[in-house]
Order: sequence, then C-alpha cells, then structure tokens
Amino acid sequence: MKSTARHSANPWVVAALTLLLLAAMAASCLFGAVDFGWSDLWHSPIFLQLRLPRVIMSVLVGAVLSVCGAAYQSIFRNPLTDPYVLGVSSGASLGAAAAILLGLETFLWGVGGMALVAALLTVLLIYRIASIGNRMHTTTLLLTGVCLTLLISALISFLMVLNQEKMDAIIFWTMGSFGSSGWMDVWMMAPVAVLGIGVVLWYGRDLNLLLAGSEAAKSMGCEVEKVKRVLLLATTLMVAFAVSSCGVVGFVGLIVPHAVRLVAGPDNRRVVPYSMLCGALFVLVCDTLARTLLRPSELPVGSLTSMVGAPLFIYLLYKHKRSC
Amino acid sequence: MLTLRNIQVSFADRRILGGISADVAPDRITAVMGPNGCGKTTLLRCIGGLLEPDGGEALIDGRPVADYPARQLAQKLAFVRQHPQTDFEFSAFETVLMGRNPYQHRLQNESQADWDIVERCMRQTGTWHLRLSTPAQMSGGELQRVMIARALAQETPVLLLDEPVSNLDIAHQLEIMRLLRQATDKTVLIVIHDLNLALQFCDDLLLLHQGGLLYHGPVAGGLTPENIRLVYGVKAHMAEGRIIFDYQARP
Repeated sequence: MKSTARHSANPWVVAALTLLLLAAMAASCLFGAVDFGWSDLWHSPIFLQLRLPRVIMSVLVGAVLSVCGAAYQSIFRNPLTDPYVLGVSSGASLGAAAAILLGLETFLWGVGGMALVAALLTVLLIYRIASIGNRMHTTTLLLTGVCLTLLISALISFLMVLNQEKMDAIIFWTMGSFGSSGWMDVWMMAPVAVLGIGVVLWYGRDLNLLLAGSEAAKSMGCEVEKVKRVLLLATTLMVAFAVSSCGVVGFVGLIVPHAVRLVAGPDNRRVVPYSMLCGALFVLVCDTLARTLLRPSELPVGSLTSMVGAPLFIYLLYKHKRSC
Repeated sequence: MLTLRNIQVSFADRRILGGISADVAPDRITAVMGPNGCGKTTLLRCIGGLLEPDGGEALIDGRPVADYPARQLAQKLAFVRQHPQTDFEFSAFETVLMGRNPYQHRLQNESQADWDIVERCMRQTGTWHLRLSTPAQMSGGELQRVMIARALAQETPVLLLDEPVSNLDIAHQLEIMRLLRQATDKTVLIVIHDLNLALQFCDDLLLLHQGGLLYHGPVAGGLTPENIRLVYGVKAHMAEGRIIFDYQARP
C-alpha cells in the first residue's frame, strides 16, 4: 500500500543509480577528442590530466546543481526556482568578464577566482537587502535576486559592447563548459560538494516541513530561520564554486528535481539523494556528448543540457498527465 | 498549564491586543470569541510562538513560550491554522505523518508506532479514506480535518485551533466538536464564531473586546444578551438555553 511505503531513500535505488553512474564514468573516460582503449588509459597524459578531472567535475557539478535546485524549490516553495535564482551566476559572470577584460586569463584560476569572489559578494548583497533584522523574507529574497541578476546582465552587456574584441571569450565563458577543468577545479569543488550535499541531506525532513509553509513548519518543531540560513549558506557556496569553475550549466538544477519528483513523489528524503545521482549522471552524459558529437570542436555543455533535458522533461510531464 | 501574562501587540500604530492576562483552565475547552479583527488569531499566534508580542508573554508549565526550543514546543503545543497552505503534493497521510516530526530523530524513519498514531488520528477525524489524496484533490472541509488530524498526531497537551469548523458543514462541525470534547486530557483553545456551538461544546470563554479581555469564565456566563450587544452590536435573547438573534427581515 502506497501510504505505508518507506519515506527515506530506497537503498536499492541508490545502489543501482550509483553503479550506473560509475559505469557511465568509466565509459565516458574512453570518449573525447581522442578515443582510448582500456589498456592505454593509464599511460596517457591526456587521460590523466584532462579527461579524468573533466569527468569528475561534470559529475560533481551535476550533483551540486540538482541538489541545490531541489533545496531551493522547497525553501522558496516555488517550482520555478533554480540554483542561479539568487544571482550567483550573474555575479560570477560579472567577475569572469572583469577578469577577462583585465587579462587575468593567464593566471592560474584568475578568471575562476574573480568569478567566485564576485558571486559570493553578489549573494551577500542580496541577503543584506532582503533580510529584516535576523529574519529572511523569502519572497523579497527571490525578487531581489531576480532584479540584481537583470542589473548585472545589463552591466555585462555594457562591458562587452565597450570591449568588443573580448566579447567571444566572455560569451563562451558564460555558456558553461568543462573543457578547461583540471585537478585544481576538482580539489576545490569536491570538499565543498561533499560538505554541502551532506548538509542538505541532513535537513531533508526539514525541507519537507518548509514545503508545508514556514509557520506550519515552525509549529511542527522545525527551527525555520536557522534551517533556512544554514541551507542557503551551504547551497550558495556550492553553486558559487560550481559556476566559477565551469560557467553556467543551465536547466539541470531546475529540471532534475522535478523529474525525480514525478517518479518518486515529493518527499525530500528521496528527492535530494536521487536528484544528486540523476543530476550527476545527466551532466556527465551531456558533457560526453558535448565533446564527441562534433569533434574535434566542442559544443557548450550548457546548451546541450537544455537540448537533451527539455524534450525529456516534457515527455515525463506528458506521461504523468496521462497517468493522472 | 497555560498562562497568558499581559500580552500586548500593535501592528504599525494600531493596537490589537492591549494586555491580555488569563490562566487558561487545563483539560477544558476554552472558546476565544470576539468580532472580526479583534485579535483572536493574533492572540493564538502569540501563544503558539509564531508571533512575538510587543509586551508580555504566554507561559506553558511556567516557562515562556519563547524559551522553548522549537522541537520541545511542538511536543507541548499544536496549532491548526485558519487557512492551511495547500500548494504542495504530499498526500494526506504524509501530511499527518509530519505531525510526528517533533518525536523523530533527523535521519530516522517513522516507526510502526508513528504509523499507528497517524492511522488513529485520521480515523478519529474521518479522513482515513482520504489518505492517498493530495490537497488539490480534497475539499476545504476535508483539508481542514486533515490539518486537525495532523495536530492531534503531535500528541500535545495544548491544542490551539483557529476557526477549525468555519469551513465545515453542520455534521462535520458537530463531529469535530465532539472529537475535541472526547480529548479530555487536552487544554483546547479554539477560535469559534458560532455562539450556539460554543455554548453547547465549550467550557470556558475568553471574550475579546476592543483589545481587552471583556470576560473570562464559564461560557454560559459570558454569552449574555448584554455582552453580545456590546461586542457584536447585535440584539439577542436567550430561549431554552439557546441564543436567538433579534433580526428584522426587510419587508
């Protein structure tokens, strides 16, 4: 009977998805601008220095974006929120654009570092504007984020028009790509991702309560303000690190949690871990396609996630509607 | 034991509650009455810890509500809102199961005991057959009963209900009031507009008038024609233990 089913994640589903992800990672390592056989993998510097960190990064970023999307959709009680809604991506883009204009590309993590700092400053600014005393009003937060995102996009356009010779580099950065991911990115991303996702998993039950409304959550024993603050801090850090190392990978954080919900129901104790694994798998597959479909040139992974994801999601919605 | 100590609330420049003090009798049903906008909901929100009063405090077992950690407060006190939020996809069963949250550890699954309590509360409120329905599939009255079931599942000694029966037909009104009557070990504070329903089912009355407490005591002693006229501006008289409103239909 459905009503008495387990509510936390099914370990068999988690195990199956994990195995599938690992298999896909192994397969993905073989394909790219250069294809490998199993035997010569470990001797190739291309594999060790480029392919492997890239595969790991796509998995980490996919997991992070999906988990943050699931968390935001519950915190803001709004199905349209995605991880970039608080202005993290626009802040990062502005930082990256500034770095590119200043010619910082030659420094190790010059662009990424600027993007990270700018992303965090932007979100900090948004929080300052939206908080009244020590309470955060989520609608104001959302509106401030949208507004500031628009303002910053306008600023970036302005910068690009003034420096047309660097336009391509800026546009390409904002489209999102794992093409330049290296071990440096992995070492920065991995601890943030593990810690951040751990925090969101820990608060899975509280996310459910928040979906029932802030006041209802509070009267059922959820420390609403504290939970929101901790979750927003963890998710913001994750998204800022993700976007500053690989640009904006759209659609994933919005759609993966919804797709999981259509299949597994609304309980965040399932939605968060399943989204993590499905999102990782999805971005991994998209990035593999991005570097193989038109090789030797690369497609931006951000456009591929939308091109693959949108039809898939519409199909799911359609099927769901039919079954209701 | 629920005590209100000089609770004061103002919104902007408008004084809503100007110092409400009362010892709410334990294990009884106390009606909170007064005209629209007189601060009934505000008073309940202060008691429930959802609104911090500008002055004064509510105490449960001698301890101010604001001093309780959220989890402990949720084991003492459950709150049924007037307008429950309904834009989520959880089934009625999952919704009621959330009421068990204050007793669960973070990463633990609900136990068989939790499920049994949820089933009992849903049967008591006549919502067990709705257990697989989402809010969108339920009527306002059904949803209200699910919310009451969730509050009961919290197994608290204090129960606050903000107009729980206003959306219900007379049969379900009586059913809910009878249910509250049966919960003899609970201190129930209920905002209710139907004077006769209050007269029939409630023990005590907190009658609010212009930000102050006009009357606190047994319900029959408070719902007098004089008080009704003063508070609501409506003429009424008693007949056979019921309140009859003197209402002249237009010709």
